[in-house]
Amino acid sequence: MDNFKINYIDEMLDDVEKKDFLKYRTGELPTWCPGCGYFGITQSIVQSCNELNLKNEDICVASGIGCAGRFPVFMDVYGFHTLHGRSVPVASGMKLAREELTVFAIAGDGDIMGIGGGHLPHIARKNIDITLFLFDNSIYGLTKGQSSSTTPFEQTTNSHPFGNPDQPLKPVSLALSYGATFVARAFAGNVDQMTAIFKKGITHKGFSFIHILTPCVTFDKVNYTWKNLKANVEEIYDEFDHTNHTEAMRIAEKSRLYTGIFYHRYDVPSYQDYLKQK
Amino acid sequence: MSAKDHFIIIGNGPAGNNAAEVLRENDKKARISIISTESFSFYYRHRLKDFISGRIPAEDLVVKHYSEYKDKNIRLRLGQFVEKIDPEKKILYLKHMEKINYTKLIIATGGSPRILPSLTIFQDYLTMFSTYSDTVGLRHRIEKAKEIVVLGGDLTSFSFVKSLVKACKKVSFLLFNDAFWPISLTSEMILKIEENLKSHNVATFFNDSVEMIKKSKSKYTIETKQNNKIKSDIIISLMGMIPNIRFILGSSIDTDRGVLVDAYLRTNFKDIYAAGDCAQIYNPILKNYWVSIGWMNAEEQGKIAALNLLGDSKIIEPPKEEIFEYEGIKVNTSWWKKF
Amino acid sequence: MSNTDIVLEICGSAGEGTISSGEIFNRYISSIDFEIMSFDTYPSEIRGFGKCVAHSRFSTQKIFTPGKYTDILIALNDAHSISQLGHLKDTGVVIYDSKPPKYHEEDKSIVGWMEPGMISYGIPFNDLAQKAAGNSRGRNMVALGAVCALFGVDHEEFKNTIIQRYAKKKQIVIDNNVNSFVEGYNWANDNLTKIDSISFKKGKNKNEKESIIINGNQAVAKAAIDSELHLYAGYPITPATKIMEILSHELPKKNGIMLQTEDEISAIGNVLGAGFAGKRSMTATSGPGFALMTEFMGLSVMAQIPAVIVNSQRGGPSTGLPTKTEQSDFNAAVNGGTGDLPRFVIAPASVEECYDGTTLAFYLAEKYQTLVVILLDFFLSNSIRNIDEPTPPTEKMLNSNIAPNEKELKDYVRFKETKTGVSPRSIPGTPNGMYTTTGLENNERGKPQYDGKLHTKMSDMRYRKLNSALNDVPKPKWTGPKKDIDVGILSWGSSAGAAYEAATIANKNGHRVAVLSSLVVFPVNEVDLTKFCNESKQILIPELNYSGQYANFIASYINRPVERLNMVSGLPMASEDVLSKIDEMIAS
Ligand SMILES: Cc1cc2nc3c(=O)[nH]c(=O)nc-3n(C[C@H](O)[C@H](O)[C@H](O)COP(=O)(O)OP(=O)(O)OC[C@H]3O[C@@H](n4cnc5c(N)ncnc54)[C@H](O)[C@@H]3O)c2cc1C
Ligand SMILES: Cc1ncc(C[n+]2csc(CCOP(=O)(O)OP(=O)(O)O)c2C)c(N)n1
Ligand code: SF4
Ligand SMILES: [Mg+2]
Repeated sequence: MDNFKINYIDEMLDDVEKKDFLKYRTGELPTWCPGCGYFGITQSIVQSCNELNLKNEDICVASGIGCAGRFPVFMDVYGFHTLHGRSVPVASGMKLAREELTVFAIAGDGDIMGIGGGHLPHIARKNIDITLFLFDNSIYGLTKGQSSSTTPFEQTTNSHPFGNPDQPLKPVSLALSYGATFVARAFAGNVDQMTAIFKKGITHKGFSFIHILTPCVTFDKVNYTWKNLKANVEEIYDEFDHTNHTEAMRIAEKSRLYTGIFYHRYDVPSYQDYLKQK
Repeated sequence: MSAKDHFIIIGNGPAGNNAAEVLRENDKKARISIISTESFSFYYRHRLKDFISGRIPAEDLVVKHYSEYKDKNIRLRLGQFVEKIDPEKKILYLKHMEKINYTKLIIATGGSPRILPSLTIFQDYLTMFSTYSDTVGLRHRIEKAKEIVVLGGDLTSFSFVKSLVKACKKVSFLLFNDAFWPISLTSEMILKIEENLKSHNVATFFNDSVEMIKKSKSKYTIETKQNNKIKSDIIISLMGMIPNIRFILGSSIDTDRGVLVDAYLRTNFKDIYAAGDCAQIYNPILKNYWVSIGWMNAEEQGKIAALNLLGDSKIIEPPKEEIFEYEGIKVNTSWWKKF
Repeated sequence: MSNTDIVLEICGSAGEGTISSGEIFNRYISSIDFEIMSFDTYPSEIRGFGKCVAHSRFSTQKIFTPGKYTDILIALNDAHSISQLGHLKDTGVVIYDSKPPKYHEEDKSIVGWMEPGMISYGIPFNDLAQKAAGNSRGRNMVALGAVCALFGVDHEEFKNTIIQRYAKKKQIVIDNNVNSFVEGYNWANDNLTKIDSISFKKGKNKNEKESIIINGNQAVAKAAIDSELHLYAGYPITPATKIMEILSHELPKKNGIMLQTEDEISAIGNVLGAGFAGKRSMTATSGPGFALMTEFMGLSVMAQIPAVIVNSQRGGPSTGLPTKTEQSDFNAAVNGGTGDLPRFVIAPASVEECYDGTTLAFYLAEKYQTLVVILLDFFLSNSIRNIDEPTPPTEKMLNSNIAPNEKELKDYVRFKETKTGVSPRSIPGTPNGMYTTTGLENNERGKPQYDGKLHTKMSDMRYRKLNSALNDVPKPKWTGPKKDIDVGILSWGSSAGAAYEAATIANKNGHRVAVLSSLVVFPVNEVDLTKFCNESKQILIPELNYSGQYANFIASYINRPVERLNMVSGLPMASEDVLSKIDEMIAS
């Protein structure tokens, strides 16, 4: 287990050197714990921007509060570290103000499945052209290990020492039912697939919801551990028809954690495209 | 009596007001309402003549201020006209389209100026008055007028003429002795009247009558039977009053000239009484009904109607024969008391 | 020639054309050069039969309040109108439907409740409307016809106003309205004898100057558009909703966007997002929504991102009295939020100031990279005035962001310390201007950092911004005597109108009463305040809240006792209210 962690970081560092990723990064060293899945996610976001040739000054990132929320502090883009649960409305405002910008919303599971959960259905149905990266570690990281809305039933956490009495939410199923036009899941340990998904999501004209499975190595030793995730994830097969909502719903409900693009709908105009038609 | 009682008095004259006072004195709880067409507070009608001729201001007319009603918890509904009574259901229908329920009712609606049948064709040319609002406009017209003709058919006409003379108007007076109201004039009286008026520089036309009235621009010309032509800016007709009972007709409350009541002022309906100028009262001595006229009569009747309504059984005293002195003329009437 | 000053009320139930007839009357009377101040009330929550009142004051003189007592009450609906009699003048006039389809039950008729001395004119609204158009919809126009006949309003000219008002409607609608109006006019001329003395004849024939009739909400919306607003984000709430509805029409014409959000948190979030991206944005709300925005208000200040919030105050606390007016969010606007949270608070006193206050708000928010709260109230939002075409914001006001220059962009330090406290702000899309801002305390480069020295320095910078802005905002308005003041009134927001009028009357009565009121209520211009107070023997602070929020606030600046006039009746403050307090103070 420990071995795996160290190897992983080494691999990443290699990659960083090879490609010109560092231009998207500030000099700030991430404050995340060593081994945290967020490094990988950051890596993939950076890589996607690079491969999509996005200019730093044209990228706007709004994040919530949490370990995930710190993300823009480490990025050399226009970043706004907002409030707990509120990255989505702020990102929405950025996009509505300046359509030419590429806008990301960064959220933890506490952010967007918990306190800011009310924003998700609406950003989905409005189809505002932003990409939401949900860093789901199924725990409150920053506040040190309390249950979140995606913590499994009965799991013991710092807030539920006798077991979590609540059932977990299913982010992908929810996004699908809310009518999000791009729904995908990625795994922080699979940088290549993650990057491919991110690029699709970023270029999708409309709201993109990307659920990212990631471990909190410090506060979750039982659920989304590297080991469990590795064992449980499976890439959606190539022939999968990601325009089929029913199928997407079906595999989203499986206990097996499918990664890849669940659903991609092209025929709904983005919020601003709709306004232009009127 | 209980708080559920709603005593309504129609008419805000002396009869109505005295009735209301007596009701309130004897019953602190009942709802008491006065409804009256006129929008002005309770006032002295006989002072209207001085108001018209500009000799007194409106304040001097007032008997009772609005606030006095509030103090006594009497609801004053002014400017409201009762259009119909349903004595079976005990509902009043008001002209402004409101239904009101009463438990007991006193009709004290007084009278309105009478117009002689022979003059109805000239109605538009004639000015009559009996209320404050009649006089508001008239006051300004009289102010401007130089020549005024009074068609005199009642007692008030004499004092009115005097009032006009005092205001320096040129006045002509046509006496309608055949139709005089509420008493018949003897030839002796007529002579005295004429004498009196002449001494006040009034042009008198006695034993004459109106043949034709013409109007050109704002001037009127009266042509009489005896070929007199009298010019005038205003023609004022004062022919006495007829009781205000039109709204009662058809309600199955008995009426004749006025509302018919017995000596207790009861109508043919148990909880309905009438008092004042509108009532036609049975006089056991005369064995007939009489319409009683006059301010003090009205006051007295209002009180008695109220007492009887509350359960008493007071009879209105058949008045003694009285000699009534009016503008220096002695009039023999039993119903018109000295004011 | 003496002044004409007439207060007219039209009262009916929703759907009877109460408000639209008031609007038409206002429009015409405005055109004959009367000052207008008008205030409509609508049913609070229910559709259908709720009570509507169009209340207007017309004067040949300058006025600041809608008038407490009514001269003419038009009762389109008897039951609703009865309670309006409470503020009809002793000799006021009631115009009512004399032939409704059926009898009113006892005590449900307006005439039945009239006080002695009041005057009533019955007009068969219903019958005449039926005659004119075959239905009773034109009752309101019949009433207007009668009003024109009774009070000397030129009916031919008035007819044109009706035609203009319905110009976009089908011909039949125009005809029905005009015919109903004419029926009412003729009937009243033929059948009514005027016994009151009210007349509109003193208006000039035609108003020469360019004037518009708008209410506070419309003025805010117009100012926002003129200030190049790009994004309005909001969630419906009385009495602010109208701003959103107006902007949903106006913004698309300017390629702007009206976003109806899922809640007020999202609304203010979007506002900050757009502000961050360099576009002007705003939201408008009332008490409950304002409470939800509190956390973002802090972020705006801390992250130094412009945001404009309009809070049209209702009666509070909590959901409170949605359709009543109050000035009880002063504390929330000035102090709301956690931590030391400097922000601008603008409190317009009139419809004109709603416009000017809004253009100022955008200017300040953008230039000082912070939060601006505009405090309206139910009354101001809905109070209608005829005002001169307002002065649009200048070029300088439209482009107020201080951007970093090329040199600064070489090594861009977003929160660089400056004398004014304002650090140049780069807008996304600017190469080398990238930065991250945060609600955490941060150093000059935006990096979260919590040491005490830094926090002290940054707090100081945030407050310094406001103080340096004091020269950038209009000075407080001082009306009345400058010296030896018997009563000095410190007034704010919509109750200032009542203070002006009361002071004018008091001064005519030989007293020395002055008023100081400021469009910007926070930060406080202490120089003027101190001077004013030094000249005043007694200080009076009238406001529409229970606890005297402004009085409590000002006390810490002026260090002396003040007299308070606090009212929470739900009604706007009237000059009579202030005047009796002044008299009381002078007498004692
Ligand atoms: C010009 C003038 C001079 C007079 N001078 C003298 C005098 O010198 N001495 C003297 O003794 N008498 C005088 N009188 C008569 C005296 O005023 C009356 O006798 C007295 O007022 C009668 O009182 P009342 O209460 O019966 O009725 P009124 O005073 O007539 O009051 C009746 C009220 O009822 C109202 N009413 C009528 N019908 C309705 C309805 N359907 N609904 C609602 N309200 C209604 C009327 O509008 C009126 O206001 C004079 C009268 C007049 C007009
Ligand atoms: C309104 C509010 N409530 C509570 C907090 C405290 N808080 C900060 S982060 C956090 C939970 C973060 O969990 P998550 O969103 O999953 O992010 P992670 O740390 O796991 O990345 C909480 C409760 C806050 N910042 N704001
Ligand atoms: S606490 Fe968990 S989520 Fe936060 S940085 Fe550490 S490992 Fe990552
Ligand atoms: Mg988490």
